[in-house]
Amino acid sequence: MTRRDFLAASTAFTVPVMLNGFGLKAMTRQSALVQSLMQSGAVNTDRVLVIVYLNGGNDGLNTVIPLDQLPTYNTLRSPIALPENSLLRLQGTDKMAFHPAMTGMRNLYNDGRLTVINSVSYPNPDQSHFRSTDIWMTAANADVSLTTGWAGRYLEDRFPGYPVGFPNEQMEDPLAIQIGYLTSTALLGSQQSMGVAINDPEAFYQLVGAGEPTSPNDIPGGDAGTLISFIRLQQALAVGYAGEIKNAFDAGQTLGTYPLENMNNSLAEQLKIVARLIHGGLKTKIFFVALGGFDTHSGQIVNSPVTGPHADLLGKVSDALYAFQEDLRLQGTQDRVVGMTFSDFGRRANANASNGTDHGVAAPQFVFGSSVRHQVIGTNPNLSDLIESYGGNKDVKMQIDFRRIYADLLNDWFETGRAKADNLLLHNFPTISLFSDVCETLTSGPWNSPTTWTVGRVPMSGEKIRVNAGHVVTLSDVVSVRSAQVQGTIRYGAGGKIRITG
Amino acid sequence: MAVLDPYTVPLTRATAAHLLRRATFGPTPAEITALVGQTAAQAVQSLITNGNYNPPPPVELDENQPGAGEPFLDKPFNGGRNFQFGYAIKYWWLGIMSQQTGAPALLDKLTMFWQNHFVTTRTVVDDYRFVDRYLRLLRNNALGNFRSLVIAVSKDPAMLRFLNGNENEAGSPNENYARELQELFTVGAVDFAGTKNYTEEDVKAAARILTGWNYTNFWTEGSTSFETTFTVSRHDTTDKLFSSHYNNTRITGRSTATAGDQELTDLVAMLLAHPQTARFICRKLYRWYVNPHVTQAIEDTVIVPLALFFASPANDFAIQPVVVKLLTSQHFFEAANRGCIVKSPAELIVGSIRFFGQPIPDMTTDYVAFGKLLDFMQWRMDQLQMNTLDQPTVFGYEPYYQTGYSKNWMNTTTIAMRNEFTDALIWRWLEVKPGYNMGIDVLAWATSLQADFNNVPSATNPSGTPAITCETILAAFIADLFATDLFQRQKDFLIDTIMMNSLPRTSWGFEWNAYRTALITNSGELSWRQNSVTWRLQNLMRYTLRLAEYHVF
Repeated sequence: MTRRDFLAASTAFTVPVMLNGFGLKAMTRQSALVQSLMQSGAVNTDRVLVIVYLNGGNDGLNTVIPLDQLPTYNTLRSPIALPENSLLRLQGTDKMAFHPAMTGMRNLYNDGRLTVINSVSYPNPDQSHFRSTDIWMTAANADVSLTTGWAGRYLEDRFPGYPVGFPNEQMEDPLAIQIGYLTSTALLGSQQSMGVAINDPEAFYQLVGAGEPTSPNDIPGGDAGTLISFIRLQQALAVGYAGEIKNAFDAGQTLGTYPLENMNNSLAEQLKIVARLIHGGLKTKIFFVALGGFDTHSGQIVNSPVTGPHADLLGKVSDALYAFQEDLRLQGTQDRVVGMTFSDFGRRANANASNGTDHGVAAPQFVFGSSVRHQVIGTNPNLSDLIESYGGNKDVKMQIDFRRIYADLLNDWFETGRAKADNLLLHNFPTISLFSDVCETLTSGPWNSPTTWTVGRVPMSGEKIRVNAGHVVTLSDVVSVRSAQVQGTIRYGAGGKIRITG
Repeated sequence: MAVLDPYTVPLTRATAAHLLRRATFGPTPAEITALVGQTAAQAVQSLITNGNYNPPPPVELDENQPGAGEPFLDKPFNGGRNFQFGYAIKYWWLGIMSQQTGAPALLDKLTMFWQNHFVTTRTVVDDYRFVDRYLRLLRNNALGNFRSLVIAVSKDPAMLRFLNGNENEAGSPNENYARELQELFTVGAVDFAGTKNYTEEDVKAAARILTGWNYTNFWTEGSTSFETTFTVSRHDTTDKLFSSHYNNTRITGRSTATAGDQELTDLVAMLLAHPQTARFICRKLYRWYVNPHVTQAIEDTVIVPLALFFASPANDFAIQPVVVKLLTSQHFFEAANRGCIVKSPAELIVGSIRFFGQPIPDMTTDYVAFGKLLDFMQWRMDQLQMNTLDQPTVFGYEPYYQTGYSKNWMNTTTIAMRNEFTDALIWRWLEVKPGYNMGIDVLAWATSLQADFNNVPSATNPSGTPAITCETILAAFIADLFATDLFQRQKDFLIDTIMMNSLPRTSWGFEWNAYRTALITNSGELSWRQNSVTWRLQNLMRYTLRLAEYHVF
């Protein structure tokens, strides 16, 4: 019995014992967590999403390296190409490897707690930082401008009316928290940000003026009045949430080992706060953290291809994600937290003359947590089939639209249902089976074509497959899978055969 | 262009304060008084004329260093002090914005506009001399000609470093500057309707034009000069063809020593001929000075005509006439445009320092105290997301471009930090130097309002001068403070709930007179009598500065 099943089934709220250190405060309050768990269709209210923004456009080809194409890789980016013997090998694959700084993420990958999603982008990619980030955060088509963030739309749908009447009995904690000073576009709702920014939970409580009387609510007309109401609302929210955040922060503990503070790993520091708040029982749905410095036009390597700013950045990301996952594991909260990275865009496949890389298109992204079901989505980028432009510039083509990741997060993680996920993302984006151990067919086609499958690659022998109704899959090889479910049709050619490994 | 017609009504306190709040970082009450009765045209002209183009140069602020208190820019490059000198330049600039000894000028508010437009940062540029030259370029040309400014910025060593222009060479272009030149500095990515203003190919073509530039002596220990260079062998000498967005302009490739300048001039001419460039700049100026909320009606009646004027052959991209036209327009003074921008950290912090008359110690003679106060200001601004000369990205500070615009300054965290700053004005814990603690002496202020302080009414002196009332104190404390008027209920709340903590207002008179008497007689009660009135005054002012109204202008 999972913890969620237990909660749903239980009528005697012996929950604090079960949770052992987690959320005592929340439970003693007949908290929203328990209450909403008991409501039908809301069993997953304790699920949390952590969004990690790598600000500037991470160089994907020096993050996940296609081992199967090293000669081409070396030619494209000779001054910055990572030497083969430096690369971190991954269990179960000889096709790709990680940057040598990414030992923590290598461990997560090997444990099945990290998914690499290859060549993520969107149609008609934009290479402006601002515009492309906006597209990622709003989940807009490249030719459409939206003023709400994708996560903000989800939260607004889930908690209508926010911020009027919040915090309240059902949701006494912030819907989303960004560690830092500003809130991101991803969290924007139709009226305002659905998230609150906090930097230091202790200082925050002292400074917002919790417990002070509030001024009469008269407002002047016009834009000035709109702003004054807005500021008052922020003040009220700050006061309203300050105590909850402080309580959670005080109740929570750091159980994992994070990089030392003098390592200046600000991402690790942010995630440490997030983990502690989760451990302390804060019911916030979405946390947003960021690390800057990825706009490596120049000097991304220094002294050697494996040292310099880009190596430092990847080392920080990797150390931070690993420490965070270990912390969650020790807390016993890892099954209800999932994280994703995103960045403005990938960088050029070819290096420039400044030991750097210019703005590019597709790049790998990561989803992490114990709930992911596949180590890899999509295939290695094909370095012999790149987008070419003036000056011999070459860009990696898109395989996976980033909104397919969002669709799985909404539909499978937050359990919005398919229709609502499509609605929030304004289009129908097919699953990439992030949280399902079944590789489904996406369309009719040859078994050996990556595009036939939701996972964007050919199923591996240890995986389950399903041929969906209406799909015809042609098979002319002998393939092994763990189990096969055929609702559509498999058309066997000469020599075609499925071996079930069970 | 009706709404851009001149505003001819003589300035009142409210309209003079509005002009000063927007055109500078915030007025002192005396500066408001000085403009009352003038026309907008006269007032703006004086704000232009008052600009000081020759302020004393920044100095070494550390008393333990050789050359303390002395200018350093005229000395050979000193790498060991690079970081500190970079900060000295930040403080120098913030100090100019904050000082109240000269007549108010609009120069530095406009310079900050350009610095947030043509962004480079101290952190990335990393050579204090480059930072200084860049900042002075913007400052000296803030009111000059946009065309010359774009050309000069494109060759400025700090910009060449910041956007990798120095690494842009024939055959291996670095497109960073070419992209931002179009997206951020001139035409803008999209027009008001959201249609793209140029193509990716245009970025690549512009990058080729901009090949061949570099700078000398970056971080060269002991060097006494540095300059921009152009090397024709690094320049792409082929013709460059642009898209239909630029009327398929072909810019001829050149191969002489002046090729870089010639092609840059052609490129900037082409960029400025794009009809969206003037609009993009005017819209951004409008958001800076008037209202971040640009409706279709504003676009049609303000931005478009102002842009036509900006780009007209007669004006040819002169900046000053556009700023004058905007700041003296009827539209600018409309009541609806007061209080419609959230104060940036500069407007909050520099504005408060100025409004409450906190003297800026003389940078040259009193450099330690200067450094201490400016250090405090700089650190608060940084926490509030406005690190001077260090924007987070080339886009500038987020609240000047992100959806919601100035609202982005305000969130739960920055509200806490803003409270911390305004509280510091009340608690006065920062000792700038002996005898000068930063902050508002509320007791002295209230005392100055009391007529005949020593003539305290009592049973034996029935003709004594009555105590100042709560209403008088509040009126003085909030005079000129807000862009919008408080409602009576708010004023009552401030007095009854905050100042008097629900005691009757008459109690104030007893307490105040008791304090007067104790002070005159130097009685044993003085200490607690003084504390009790001070505590009420501090509560009042502290809460007043926490009102949402104080954060808009």
